[in-house]
Amino acid sequence: MSDALSQPTESSPSPGAAREDGAPLLQLVNVTRRFGGLIAVDNLSFSLRKGEILGVIGPNGAGKSTMVDLIAGAGSPTAGKIIYQGRDISRLPPNRRAHLGIARTFQTTLPFTGLDVRENVMVGAFFGQRGLNRAGALRIADEVLERVNLRHKATFKGDQLTVADRKRLEMARALATNPRLLLLDEVMAGLTQSEVMQAVELIRQINSTGVTVLVIEHVVRAIMSVSNRVLVLHHGRKIAEDEPGQVLSDPKVIEAYLGERYARRRSQPDNSAAAARNDDAEQR
Amino acid sequence: MATGADTQASPIAEAPSPAPKESRGWLWSLLIGLLILGLISTVPLLGDASALHTWTLIVMFIVLAQSWNFIGGFAGYAAFGNVAFFGIGAYTTGLMLLAHHPFWSGLVLGALVAGLFAFLLGLPVLRLKGHYFAIATLGIAEALGEFTTVRNIGGGGGGLMSLPLPGLDSYVYFFYAFMGLAVICLLVTVWLTRSRFGYALVAIRESERAAEALGIATYRYKVIAFVMSALPTAIAGGLYAYWSTGFDPSTVFDVGISVEMVLLCFLGGAGTILGPIVGAVAFELASFQLQTSGLNLHNTLLGLAIAIVTIFLPQGVIRVAQEFVSRPGAGSGRANSFMEGMRRVRRFIAANGI
Repeated sequence: MSDALSQPTESSPSPGAAREDGAPLLQLVNVTRRFGGLIAVDNLSFSLRKGEILGVIGPNGAGKSTMVDLIAGAGSPTAGKIIYQGRDISRLPPNRRAHLGIARTFQTTLPFTGLDVRENVMVGAFFGQRGLNRAGALRIADEVLERVNLRHKATFKGDQLTVADRKRLEMARALATNPRLLLLDEVMAGLTQSEVMQAVELIRQINSTGVTVLVIEHVVRAIMSVSNRVLVLHHGRKIAEDEPGQVLSDPKVIEAYLGERYARRRSQPDNSAAAARNDDAEQR
Repeated sequence: MATGADTQASPIAEAPSPAPKESRGWLWSLLIGLLILGLISTVPLLGDASALHTWTLIVMFIVLAQSWNFIGGFAGYAAFGNVAFFGIGAYTTGLMLLAHHPFWSGLVLGALVAGLFAFLLGLPVLRLKGHYFAIATLGIAEALGEFTTVRNIGGGGGGLMSLPLPGLDSYVYFFYAFMGLAVICLLVTVWLTRSRFGYALVAIRESERAAEALGIATYRYKVIAFVMSALPTAIAGGLYAYWSTGFDPSTVFDVGISVEMVLLCFLGGAGTILGPIVGAVAFELASFQLQTSGLNLHNTLLGLAIAIVTIFLPQGVIRVAQEFVSRPGAGSGRANSFMEGMRRVRRFIAANGI
């Protein structure tokens, strides 16, 4: 939270998170990704500390999902390096990265529709963790389903779920791999207000078990309340990286989201930050 | 978080609440599959040579459909050239017999050659997706057939191969050899629906992106599945070779056989335990009936039947049957649950058909 706003109450979303001295778990060094003439991610550098929740926001087409793809291995950077736990993983295939503890969700959910919910999660356990038999994978699947509040739908098929439950399934499957780094690609998009709050609660709870989380979101208010730091992308470039309250009062961010004219017209620089604070209050 | 209230109530509440039971569907499928194969196994007892001939071919098609199911049904890769493995098995076995090696060694070598071929072929083509994969495999099978013809591998002109007669009462043995292969394939299929390996294939079928993100080495699994589907196909080819004693490339490299493998699977239900068996028995029986009935319309009628089934039951017969028997509503009588089943089937067809 920004200095001006800091009601010191519960501004740190989870205990033990966001230690400034935490070792970087993940580092992007001058990462660029081109698709033909289009530059989706442009010379992007940032680092993610162990145990923190980093929010990434940006307008449509800012390169957020491409960035997740690059970290998870669904594509390789055109230039630059991705360093995870001190090791360059830029060229590793996605399955190897999963074994190193990187798990992700997909913006457009990709459930295994031929399998039921529990089997979906079992696949995550089977392949993300080593040496599990069927019973072990089942046990983990049930535990994870309990955590994401999807246990009562364990026997539903992957395509019989509501949007919110599909997002939960994405998270459950990723969690079953027992990740160290969890990449959440718009898991709150399309959810109702109360579902968003549940999702925020779940992300905090996951983080409190020691999982570093990178949250990409369009729902700006939700991400402000859950993140320790926020990164703003625009046209593939990083235009801001700061604590949630600070980021929202950054003129560059306002311009990217609302257009130049709004940014110039704005008299009260703390308007949107105040809105974020109100949301925080609502959620508690 | 959701369990907060429970955990306060008693420390034992930590233990998982009664988990929803795992489906026993696979066990029923296994039993029904064994029952169907068991019933077919009584055919030789009838002492009817033409029935034995027909049913030998039907069981052979069961095997072919079952082995196609590994790559096509489970991994979801539409291999349209699996007849290549059948041809390789047939020609390898034939050549071994002509060189006076024992029959079984021909079968084994045929399987090995076909497996190796599948491996080497799989490395490049399994990088392809969808239609490209289908077309590439189709092309390879055609090329192999042409090669066999042009190089006259069989030695009888145009690739024709003539083998010594296997002996008078041997037809029963061939029948049971095919049957044994079908039972093995059934067991492998059941294993696939339950095992880590099988889940990998299904995950690849449903979403390859999600599969690799969860740590599945998709490429490796696909290649193994391709080799797995080649082995029984090649052994069936070897059995067919000695059983028929004479064949040429246009029979054992016939693209029609490839298409039939795909068709039988989809008719019964691709990726299911019973699908290939039910599909093969139903389709081949109808086909033989129509061929012997003297009507020259059998291909027309079968084509029409295929079109109707794919339009209304694209998931196959077995999935509809599963929908019918799955979990009837609690506390309903027999008649009621029948109606409920019918309703559910109607919904299912409405949702998945046109």
